Amino acid sequence: MSLLEMKHIKKEFGGLPVIRDISFSVEQGEILAIIGPSGSGKSTLLRCATLLENIEGGEILYMGKKAAWMENRKPMFPKKQQRKEIQSCFGLVFQNFNLFPHFSVMKNITDAPIRVQKRDKKAVYAEAKVLLEKMGLADKADAYPYQLSGGQQQRVSIARALALKPKMLFFDEPTSALDPEITGEILKVIKDLAAEHMTMVIVTHEMKFARNVADRIIFMEKGRIVVQGTPEDVFSSENQRIQEFVGKLSLE
Amino acid sequence: MSIDVMLEQLTMGFGQTCLIFFMTLLLSLPLGMVVYFGRVSKIKLFSWGVKIYISIMRGTPLMLQLLVWYFAPYYLWGMNIGGYKLTAILLGCSLNYAAYFAEIYRSGIEAIPQGQYEAAAILEYSRQQTFFRIVLPQMTKNVLPSVTNEVITLVKDTSLVYSLSYVEMFAVAKQIAAAQTTIVPFFIAGAFYYVFNYVVAGVMEIFEKKMDYYR
Repeated sequence: MSLLEMKHIKKEFGGLPVIRDISFSVEQGEILAIIGPSGSGKSTLLRCATLLENIEGGEILYMGKKAAWMENRKPMFPKKQQRKEIQSCFGLVFQNFNLFPHFSVMKNITDAPIRVQKRDKKAVYAEAKVLLEKMGLADKADAYPYQLSGGQQQRVSIARALALKPKMLFFDEPTSALDPEITGEILKVIKDLAAEHMTMVIVTHEMKFARNVADRIIFMEKGRIVVQGTPEDVFSSENQRIQEFVGKLSLE
Repeated sequence: MSIDVMLEQLTMGFGQTCLIFFMTLLLSLPLGMVVYFGRVSKIKLFSWGVKIYISIMRGTPLMLQLLVWYFAPYYLWGMNIGGYKLTAILLGCSLNYAAYFAEIYRSGIEAIPQGQYEAAAILEYSRQQTFFRIVLPQMTKNVLPSVTNEVITLVKDTSLVYSLSYVEMFAVAKQIAAAQTTIVPFFIAGAFYYVFNYVVAGVMEIFEKKMDYYR
């Protein structure tokens, strides 16, 4: 069974279609990269998948269970208990980190597991320490987000997402808000996660990275999937639009 | 009349000033939150009602509102308003200040980036948890400077209750000045207000410093 299934997803903003009938699925352990020019709808697609935006057509399933669907043109959601179950399937790493500024690094990571999942405080703290070490931030546990660089903040936000033990992680352009020389440290963290077979969906502008790390790539434009397949398939595609896009980026 | 006697009477009046000040704060700070929730309610009837209420509270003089709160029960229903003066004052002041606080809270909450709510949603915080753990602490920091302004204004606005012949410091000062034909009680009262506000500003600064641990 697929971990995530997106079936015929549609989304408009003010009558303007942003996502036009997109379907794809993500298997356990798979790494999917979504690429495409700005305004192609890839971030919106991710926001639909993570239930931050209501869909306007199609349905979303997590582990075969409906997470969002349409009835009489109205978006529908499962009941509270099942919604919670679905919500805890995935984590999301934002482009702008969205750390809680009034919480220390440690509290940013531990607050949700303790307050939301009601897990044992000591165990959560111990796990958080391990996560921080993994992110190379062992000495920053008591720091506040404003005291950290962008790259460090993004690593904290990845640790925060992982602390809830999700089955899969979404990344919404995780390096777009960072200086070019810092993007590497985030990409390395994602690569490490890939080595641990974390299921991931990554919206990114980093072509090289997508090519290296992804099992499958979706190229989107104007709210549609233009091509999808293995990195080799996509990058060697005859499709002119992709050639242009990839060519432009490799010139930079 | 000696300065000592003046001081004694003014101090007694100051007790009443403090009573009105603290009671109004105690009532209007939480009430402002309730008004805020009404203001942003999805139920149109509610949010419109609250909008009109805020508009009236901010658009008319507090002194006039106090007179209406106090005299309306008598003029409209012939009620005996003998022992009702302090209630009317607290009602008038609290409802007026709650309107201002509600708008301050609103600006403080609207200043919180949408991403904070989205992060909270992804981390599965409930609505209550999101409000109490994420929104309220950040709002508090955002609103402190504006709240300080309001609180200082409130100290001075307590003097408006003299229009209901309520005996607090300002009324006492006025009485003594008229009876003894002297300007001294006004200066003393002025000093009281000034020192009080100096302390208020100091206390609020401590609060602001306490919130300085993050940006």
